[in-house]
Amino acid sequence: MQRNSLARRRLGAAALGAIGASAVRAPAIAQGRPTKLTIMSHAVHRAVATGAKGGDSTAAWRQRTGLDVEWITFSVEGVHERVYREASLADGNVDIAFLLERYGGPHIATMFEDLGEWQKRDPIEHFDEIGEGMKAAHTYRGRMIAIPYRHATHGFFFNRTFMGERGIAVPPRSLEEIAELAERLTYARGDGTRVNGYALSMDDPSAMVDLVRAFGGEFITPDYRVVCNEPGAVRAATLVRDWYRKGVLARNVMSFKTEEVITAMQQGRAAMTNQPFGRFVNYNDPRQSKFPGAIDVVTLPMAAAASGGVAGRPAPAKTSVWAMAIPRNARNKELSWALIKELSSRESTIRAAVNGNGPVRASAYDNSEVRQLAPWSDFEKEVLPTARLVLPGFENAAKAMDIYMEELQRAMLGQAEPQQAMDAVKARIEPLLPRT
Amino acid sequence: MHRLRPVHYLMIAPAQLMLAAVIILPAASLLWLSLERFTYGRSPEFVGLANYAYILADRAFWRATLNTFLVVNVVVYGELLLGLGMALLVAGWIPCRRLVVSALLAPYAITEVSAVVMWRYMLEPDIGMINYALSALGLGQIDYGGDPTAALGVAAVMAIWMHAPFTFLILYAALLTVPNELVEAARVDGAGAWQVFRHVKFRLIVPAILIALLFRYITAMRLFAEIWLLTEGGPARMTEVLAVYLYRHAFKYHDFGVAAATGFAMLVLSLAIAMPYLVQMYRRMLRDAA
Repeated sequence: MQRNSLARRRLGAAALGAIGASAVRAPAIAQGRPTKLTIMSHAVHRAVATGAKGGDSTAAWRQRTGLDVEWITFSVEGVHERVYREASLADGNVDIAFLLERYGGPHIATMFEDLGEWQKRDPIEHFDEIGEGMKAAHTYRGRMIAIPYRHATHGFFFNRTFMGERGIAVPPRSLEEIAELAERLTYARGDGTRVNGYALSMDDPSAMVDLVRAFGGEFITPDYRVVCNEPGAVRAATLVRDWYRKGVLARNVMSFKTEEVITAMQQGRAAMTNQPFGRFVNYNDPRQSKFPGAIDVVTLPMAAAASGGVAGRPAPAKTSVWAMAIPRNARNKELSWALIKELSSRESTIRAAVNGNGPVRASAYDNSEVRQLAPWSDFEKEVLPTARLVLPGFENAAKAMDIYMEELQRAMLGQAEPQQAMDAVKARIEPLLPRT
Repeated sequence: MHRLRPVHYLMIAPAQLMLAAVIILPAASLLWLSLERFTYGRSPEFVGLANYAYILADRAFWRATLNTFLVVNVVVYGELLLGLGMALLVAGWIPCRRLVVSALLAPYAITEVSAVVMWRYMLEPDIGMINYALSALGLGQIDYGGDPTAALGVAAVMAIWMHAPFTFLILYAALLTVPNELVEAARVDGAGAWQVFRHVKFRLIVPAILIALLFRYITAMRLFAEIWLLTEGGPARMTEVLAVYLYRHAFKYHDFGVAAATGFAMLVLSLAIAMPYLVQMYRRMLRDAA
């Protein structure tokens, strides 16, 4: 471990030298009793944990302990890069780190505390309420390295104003209907605004796997089999390729990230999309959106051929699980665990849900305030039991996601047929998978 | 020439030590790292030349190398032409010279991130003023999101716009040092404006041009923000340049051995490009000393 730490310091110096990045933070905690706990996370975690609408989940804990909580926030990739860098040092300054399951894997598990042991010693209340799938998303070889805090599960959004303008009265009940409506909803409005029928974020396969699963396909199975070249997944790739050719997707869609999709929906440049249910708030916020109150969300329906004859049956939605971990080199693990317990309590879960969080406890969906503020909660609750991660966590997951998007985009550009592109994905990803 | 004695070596030792500390040691560390398999959560493992074998077998690396070669050449020579043109314009008769010089230098003062965001807005398909103007003229639109050639072209134009002031500044300073007597003598001998430039001014500013080329070649090799913020190397990784390839492996895949091997390959490529200029400058220096 010592050699590892020293080497990492050397790596840090070399990498920083090569790219010229990043400042080094001064130690957060002085000698003796700490004055604060440091949380490294995405900005959304801070917002939902301390938001004004539902209240600050850390307030009571801070008052009891007399400690402050310092939030250091980064982009999704940035959080993991910095957390792993901090956690690999001999002595760390991060007390709680938020991790997303697809950036994890058995290789990083040793850098974090086994919270299963902490849970046995000093349990979180009603821990069984948190879905087993969510806990499993952060458990590697029996070590639960993080406690689920937030899930982002996808729903299907559509703009009712545009549907009305195109004479469409009811939301689609199958993926085939969505495909048809997407073409009808690609049009120029009376004021000249061009509307694209569909918007997809394409920086990773999160949005794409919804379509794959709605066709009855999959990308990588939980037992690490690459199946994206099977018929359902190829149909999804073909649909997206055709949408791009027909102008249903914006011409610059291949550079779309979540932010571009949000803007396109808010500004009325796209009519439909699949995104986390929580985006309902952004899409209908009168301060940000040109269509407040006109953008609805339901579950994404399966393709008729894959629905087993059940019309409107929800497709297994993509979900992702953010969870709280304690780095092995953290200095105040007892305090870290105490704060994790506080943030994981029933009360805090509801408070965060009111602030816009995807609650990991089923009971939060029964809370009247949550139901009032999150009108999508019934749909979300309906898809949660069948929701799946983008892909199982492993060391080369980021590389695998890039390969998938690269080959899919080659198909969209006409450089490969969808089947050929998906065969290439399988051939390139298989050598990267963990050997079981 | 005097022979160097031990005291001379002693006097230049601090400078040499500083160079060793900031250049040679990090480069040696990078080289060593490139021979290891290294990621978070694992002990480093010596793998010899495996990381180099990996990048040499990776088609994305070769595409990034080709893109880097093309974009860097377009950028460096584009800047040279633009910078030289601006320098000649400003060094000649021009009203409000100070104001013009300030305006020409302004893009260099803008941070790369702000500049790229600004260009992205101007090229936005629906509301961007450049694409709006092109469409109004019936020239279609610049589709940097779906057309790799357009994306690389836009990145090159952005880089030229941002860095041309550097070349301009060097060449403008060089042009100001051209003695007026030489220019006047050439005119008395009947030389026109083009002949004065070609036979007098250009010859005298060649060393400055070489320096500008050398600096810009080396810094342009690190072209990153223009591509990363515009396309992140997409679509289908077809606009990736070497610095983006390195960044992806270091900070996205946490594959630090491969990233270090890429960094070392970039160093070798930079040296290969710089070497002819360095040799020429060294020879000139020796000639001048003699």
